[in-house]
Amino acid sequence: MDLFELLNFYVIPGIVLGSIYALGAVGITLIFAILRYAHLAHGDLATLGAFIALAVVTTLGVSPLAALPVAIIATAAVAVGIDKVFYDHLRERPKIVTVMASLGIALMIRAVVQVVWGVDTETYSRGIVRPENYFGLRIRDREIYTVIAMLALVGVLHVFLTQSKWGKAMRAMSDNPNLALLSGIDNRKVIILTWVIAGGLCAASGFFLGLNTELKSMMGWHMLLPMFAAAILGGVGRVEGAVLGGLIVGIAEELSVLVIPSEYKAAMAFAILLFMLLVRPTGLLKGKVL
Amino acid sequence: MKTKLLTLAAGLMTATALATVPAKADVKIGLIGGVSGPIAAMAPAMIDAAQLAVQQVNEQGGIGDGEKLVGVVGDSACNPQGGTDAATKAVNIEGVAGIVGPHCSGAVLAAAGSVTIPAGVTLVTPSGTSPEITNLEDNDSVFRTVPSDDYQGRALARTLKDMGYGKVAVAYLNNDYGTGLANAFKTEYVDALGGEITQFAAHEEGKASYRSNLAELAKGGADTLVIFDYGDGTGLTILRQALENGFFEKFVGGDGMKSDAVINELGAENLANFVSSSPVGEKSDSLDIFNEAFKGVGGDPDAIFANTSYDAAFLLALALEKTGGKKEGVGAALREVSNGEGEAIRPGEWQKAKELIAAGTAIDYKGAAGDHNFDAKGDVPGTFALFEVGADGFEVVSEMN
Amino acid sequence: MEFLGLVNYALFMAIFIAIYALLALGLNIQWGFAGLFNAGIAGFFAVGAYTSAILTTEAVDGRIGGFDLHFVIGWIGAMIAAALVAWPIGKICLRFRSDYLAIASIGIAEIIRLVIKSEPALTNGARGIPGIPRPMSDIGYMESQVAYLIIVLAVLIAAYVLVERQFNAPWGRMMRAIRDNEDAAKAMGKDVEFRRLEAFIFGAALMGLGGALFAHFNRSITPEAIDPMVATFLVWIMLILGGSGNNRGAILGAAVVWIIWSVSEIATDRLPHEYAIQAKYIRLFLIGLMLQLVLRFRPEGLLPEPLRGDQRSAKGGADH
Repeated sequence: MDLFELLNFYVIPGIVLGSIYALGAVGITLIFAILRYAHLAHGDLATLGAFIALAVVTTLGVSPLAALPVAIIATAAVAVGIDKVFYDHLRERPKIVTVMASLGIALMIRAVVQVVWGVDTETYSRGIVRPENYFGLRIRDREIYTVIAMLALVGVLHVFLTQSKWGKAMRAMSDNPNLALLSGIDNRKVIILTWVIAGGLCAASGFFLGLNTELKSMMGWHMLLPMFAAAILGGVGRVEGAVLGGLIVGIAEELSVLVIPSEYKAAMAFAILLFMLLVRPTGLLKGKVL
Repeated sequence: MKTKLLTLAAGLMTATALATVPAKADVKIGLIGGVSGPIAAMAPAMIDAAQLAVQQVNEQGGIGDGEKLVGVVGDSACNPQGGTDAATKAVNIEGVAGIVGPHCSGAVLAAAGSVTIPAGVTLVTPSGTSPEITNLEDNDSVFRTVPSDDYQGRALARTLKDMGYGKVAVAYLNNDYGTGLANAFKTEYVDALGGEITQFAAHEEGKASYRSNLAELAKGGADTLVIFDYGDGTGLTILRQALENGFFEKFVGGDGMKSDAVINELGAENLANFVSSSPVGEKSDSLDIFNEAFKGVGGDPDAIFANTSYDAAFLLALALEKTGGKKEGVGAALREVSNGEGEAIRPGEWQKAKELIAAGTAIDYKGAAGDHNFDAKGDVPGTFALFEVGADGFEVVSEMN
Repeated sequence: MEFLGLVNYALFMAIFIAIYALLALGLNIQWGFAGLFNAGIAGFFAVGAYTSAILTTEAVDGRIGGFDLHFVIGWIGAMIAAALVAWPIGKICLRFRSDYLAIASIGIAEIIRLVIKSEPALTNGARGIPGIPRPMSDIGYMESQVAYLIIVLAVLIAAYVLVERQFNAPWGRMMRAIRDNEDAAKAMGKDVEFRRLEAFIFGAALMGLGGALFAHFNRSITPEAIDPMVATFLVWIMLILGGSGNNRGAILGAAVVWIIWSVSEIATDRLPHEYAIQAKYIRLFLIGLMLQLVLRFRPEGLLPEPLRGDQRSAKGGADH
């Protein structure tokens, strides 16, 4: 197999998939860091975002990319809403209770998608899209958009976290919530902000997954394990780590077909997760061990 | 709160008990399928097709003395837990005299093992294709209107060989449907016919990209990809990614790939080199009659397993006509109405069948999905045809042997 | 519907409730008493079911088996196999904090499912194993259900008595101490890791037994039974609703949730089918919502963890 085959059929799909995972993993790692629990409804939130974009496309007839901002805003709102209605009341309890609740929320979000949009497979646009040939590399437009969007969104987030007042407040709360409270940071506002960001990124993740393949009601749930693997691989609390983790998991999944039987492809993400937890739980970029 | 919950539960049960007191002398059959779960997209059409048969029966005189036939829907969720639960409710609460379904082989095995065989209720599955169903010790109470994977896989292998296909690669979904078809295909194509399969690989459903799988499959130089998967699911993704990236020139699918979703999502213009097999009736117009009737009630006749579901329901009704609406003896009656000797009955010809049965004449149902001459184990050999994508949906290319 | 039909339905429900109660009891050992969030119940269920199937069915080409042993041996084998699988998993994953354990256990159930589906030499792959013997299956329909119910109830009662006794014993007190204040327990010299592993393994063994009972009831086992919804999530709801930390609560929760789950379907199945499908998913939504409500308003469940002698002063046990 030559280099181009390797790149075209393994590495490039891996990068695209990895970008999708990265978008979700960033949200997961933020929630881990600031709220200190594993959010098991993250995948299904991505599903919701993808389907909201579908609704915009089908009712308004706009191009999918134009629907993305709407989906981001809507999903962010839903995330904040879920927190207010469900997670907020469990704040005083041990975190594991919220994790359990999030498992139930995952089920609820998925059920809503199935009730509203049905169970058939959908796509944003009909027909097949052949990739363009860039000096031997075969890439489709939408794949470029995916990677660029991921880099852009994460870049903006990075700037926000490092330069802006609220971004610094978030990082403070991630490091030491009590101290943050003492220094005058309104924890509740930070929490809302966290959900806005996580929800928005989820929408982007689901959207690009749907754009590159199809929309199915279980699409987000199937991404949950890889997203968590990515977040833990990169180091909990480290946004760049989540991106790196996402890309690694994506590429590893695609490359795994070369060495293990193809039906076990899904196990790759889990193997990475387990390996990291055993060998280096702080992750590649030295995040927290919660 | 404990007492409140218990009262609620008791109330629910009583309400259900009251609600299910049947109208005078209805004959009920269960329509159990994967309404929720992995095949939720396929189940509604199958249940609709069965209900079409029920509707035709009632329009043309009902069962016996004009008793109404009622199809009671149950959800197996395509797993054994749901299958047994739905079957138990159908048999014990609804008092069905026969069951069409479940749709998934695992649910069939479980429902038969725990409910229908002990209770002596006949079960006809329109889509349970696992060879394991053949071997059930069932006192002649488990039948199917769909051929076992063994048949279809081997028929497809013979057809491809006859049509001159050379090296092929096989991609199959890692469930009982895919593995069954793939293994049967391989046994026939390679061992019996000397053909060559360059790559033979399973895949799980629901992944985002199968390009690496396809790249692996393309090694070895086959120009044809055989896909044993569902056109409503992962099979669509694989076909799409193969077309987009230029893997393979020709594509062959099992009956799971003969789905509208493939045409709708990929476009007929891109599917010129795609054929798929599907069970059909033998050289008769039964399939056309069914297609017209199903379109007439708003159904999509190309929907997977719609024809087998219709046949199962209609056959069950015919058998019940023979037994007078009783569940005992349905198994034997099924054979009598369908085993090759007698006046031909086509889909929808209920009134004619009633008259013949009343006169004691033998009848032989020629179904939309095949003649259904059940063998000793309740299996049907099945005839298949190969379909290509034409201007108006799937069209027959040739019969398969 | 005749009276006999209702009786048969009730018998069937009782059998399923007893099987689920075993699963909930196993989960109670892991979660209620040791605070371990096991989201991979389906995996242990599967291991038990398949082990018993392999041990008790006849020989088949290309698959290990043919032992054709008595079902009791099959069931014991199921427990041992589940425990053996739980041991390395526990050793590796229990040291993680609880949400990591949750994610890891989801992954493990997934791996077990993949292996079962993909290794025909072991499990007949996606086709499953049919022809599993069922005790007393030759007598009539209702009679065989009654017989099976008696057997399952005997198993359940035996398990319940054993577990209850353990919890009232010093072992139980120690487990609760570890769960509620790990550092103090460690300071007192308790081998926390080993105790946790013990609880995990016992719980897994019970889950494996539940799987075996299920497989023998249906006389077949196929991979679709390893479904996260019906084999894992439902059990969690049963335990949380029934009362985690309380063995009777586990059994009660199993009864309540299964009755609601099965009976509600009778109503939804009658709707015209466009609505029937939606009703199914609304039902799922409501189950998820029910979990939220229980967690918020009555987290201790219907039957709270009983205050045993050592907890008279503090009610800390139920809230975890």
